[in-house]
Amino acid sequence: MSEQKIVTVPEIATIEEIKDEIVDVKTFYLRFDNKEIDGNFTFKSGQFIMCTVFGAGEFAVSLPPSPENDRFHITVRRIGKVTNALHDLQVGDKVGIRGPFGNGFPFEEIKGKNVIYVAGGIGLIPLRSSIVHVLQHRNDFGRILLLYGSRSPQDLMYQYMLEQWQKIEGFETFITVDNGTPEWKGNVGIITTLFDKVEIPVENTVAFVCGPPVMFNAVIKELMQRGIKDDMIISTLERHMKCGVGKCQHCAIGRTLVCTDGPVYTYRQIKTLGEQI
Amino acid sequence: MYLIKKNDVKKIAKALEEKYTLYGPYLDEAFGQCFFDKVSADNIDLNAPIPANPPKHVVFPHLETIMQYKYDKNAKKADIAMVFDDVPKALFGLRSCDLTGLQCIDRFFLGQEFVDEVYRHHRSRMFIVANTCVVPFKQCFCVCTDSGPAAQEGYDLNLTDLGDSYLLEVGSEKGKAFIESFNFPKATQEHVTQKQKLVEKSITMFEDIATESKAWVSRVMNRVTTGFIKEEVWEYIGNQCIECGACSYVCPTCTCFNINDANTIAGNTERLRTWDSCSYEGYSRMAGGHNPRKPIEDRRNKRFFCKLSYSQSKKYLRPGCVGCGRCAWVCPGDIGLPNVVTYIRREIHE
Ligand SMILES: Cc1cc2nc3c(=O)[nH]c(=O)nc-3n(C[C@H](O)[C@H](O)[C@H](O)COP(=O)(O)OP(=O)(O)OC[C@H]3O[C@@H](n4cnc5c(N)ncnc54)[C@H](O)[C@@H]3O)c2cc1C
Ligand code: SF4
Ligand code: SF4
Ligand code: SF4
Ligand code: FES
Repeated sequence: MSEQKIVTVPEIATIEEIKDEIVDVKTFYLRFDNKEIDGNFTFKSGQFIMCTVFGAGEFAVSLPPSPENDRFHITVRRIGKVTNALHDLQVGDKVGIRGPFGNGFPFEEIKGKNVIYVAGGIGLIPLRSSIVHVLQHRNDFGRILLLYGSRSPQDLMYQYMLEQWQKIEGFETFITVDNGTPEWKGNVGIITTLFDKVEIPVENTVAFVCGPPVMFNAVIKELMQRGIKDDMIISTLERHMKCGVGKCQHCAIGRTLVCTDGPVYTYRQIKTLGEQI
Repeated sequence: MYLIKKNDVKKIAKALEEKYTLYGPYLDEAFGQCFFDKVSADNIDLNAPIPANPPKHVVFPHLETIMQYKYDKNAKKADIAMVFDDVPKALFGLRSCDLTGLQCIDRFFLGQEFVDEVYRHHRSRMFIVANTCVVPFKQCFCVCTDSGPAAQEGYDLNLTDLGDSYLLEVGSEKGKAFIESFNFPKATQEHVTQKQKLVEKSITMFEDIATESKAWVSRVMNRVTTGFIKEEVWEYIGNQCIECGACSYVCPTCTCFNINDANTIAGNTERLRTWDSCSYEGYSRMAGGHNPRKPIEDRRNKRFFCKLSYSQSKKYLRPGCVGCGRCAWVCPGDIGLPNVVTYIRREIHE
């Protein structure tokens, strides 16, 4: 299969299905109009694309599908000009896509290890691809855990997925919400409260962490205290992005560029960037 | 190598004008200042002081359409096309600092993993005539950044004012082909020696004439790279900055840009690339309002990291500053690059 990288001119894709996730977040299933691209567009889990909403602009967005056999899609929170315009589109409308960009998750290096996912809110979007990949290659890994937290039950991402995941044997899922509702039967409390309730493997373990900066810092502290090494903590960083290919410099952080050197970094790298995350 | 009469310079410019859009330094009567822009051969002024603006805008315009598209929402049809500028351009009378600046931008846009096609189109079909500085100007410090006062490479032709005539050096096949038909008299080794002496003399003049800036950058680069600069120094520098962005705009090596899609009345959309500056607060602010570079000093030291760190220069093979002194000229906060270098050096010596 030849790898297709779309660098300058966006390729046109059609929105085939739109799924409401939570308030202001929708998933858009896409298909490239150009059959050749559609068949050959490959990416690594952890990479991202630039998505053009015609007449509004372009924005960076993660690729939640597994690189192998998931339907191609993006999940987007409505937050500004371009994402608002995307949310106003309907099935059949077109968008433009450039990519894939960035480095991707280091799956080869983590083979044979236990994997812990810690996600907060829509931080589950960039991790989804990795989770699906690891579940598809279950035998390559040790224990697989997911610790996921959101503000309230209504803010839990990919609820249909979560239900499926909870049924998969050997996939240990733990879900919490900051504020419960009368119907909510699960754990209540911020995500770090899960750390005392779950038996967390430390030896031979890699942790994927993604969420808002406050949550990120608290989770890192918990993981480090338990003895998980800084180069075994993996995260994806977010920056304002314009070009995606290392030219506009908007995504510069310390000495690296998130669009070409990232977005996947280990915590050991993040510590040396010399900037806030 | 040729020895040409003073008046022959205009002949060359006129000949270039026939094939290229001509850009060069001219004295603006109203301002009494030199600018580098579109010009006719008659108006080029090689004796004018260093232009207020570098030639960067010729290859990287302030505002330029890089893509155009039309989306028909009803028919669900999108037509997209890149927009390229194929116009051949001649840059005439470039001073060495600005030529080096252009090479910095070349390495950045063309010399890495992804080639910027829009830039490449500007840059291909370009003819460059450099001009040796036999006398520096007040704010110059190219001798500290290895970028002047005489150009070493990257030109098609180079002119040096020997007093009663010009030494004309050829720097490329293109330059050779172009100049052959003029049948100018050949220069001798003596004229080359004369030029060398003039350049050496020019360098000694920096001490007396280039009095506004001295920026001995090498030790400072080491310091910036290793991160041993006290918080207070960056804070002090940050507090002086009013975030006007002028330093980035006049700098021959600053290339940060923004991209915006703008809808036209005609119904199509232009993807615009515009200059940007890392000093602006909105530069790194993300959707939702989180700004990882909130404190002003975090933003302000970015520019100096970019100009003065080895990790940057390793990528682009030289410091990001070419010693033109323009940022010192325009900065209302008095933190042009030479001053920043001075603050950091002072810290080293304390
Ligand atoms: C690698 C990566 C992966 C991502 N993955 C996802 C994902 O999977 N899902 C998702 O929903 N999001 C994702 N994002 C975030 C997404 O890219 C942003 O939410 C998106 O860019 C928002 O675009 P917008 O045009 O709608 O918002 P904008 O219009 O860009 O949002 C408004 C913000 O723009 C800035 N702004 C607006 N106007 C101005 C002005 N005049 N001057 C200065 N600043 C201004 C402000 O910071 C404001 O907060 C990802 C980002 C990156 C970098
Ligand atoms: S900095 Fe050097 S090359 Fe530039 S104008 Fe001054 S003397 Fe000439
Ligand atoms: S940093 Fe200042 S002195 Fe250096 S090249 Fe840019 S404008 Fe000129
Ligand atoms: S010119 Fe001076 S005040 Fe203006 S942004 Fe640059 S450093 Fe800050
Ligand atoms: S997005 Fe332009 S440099 Fe990274």
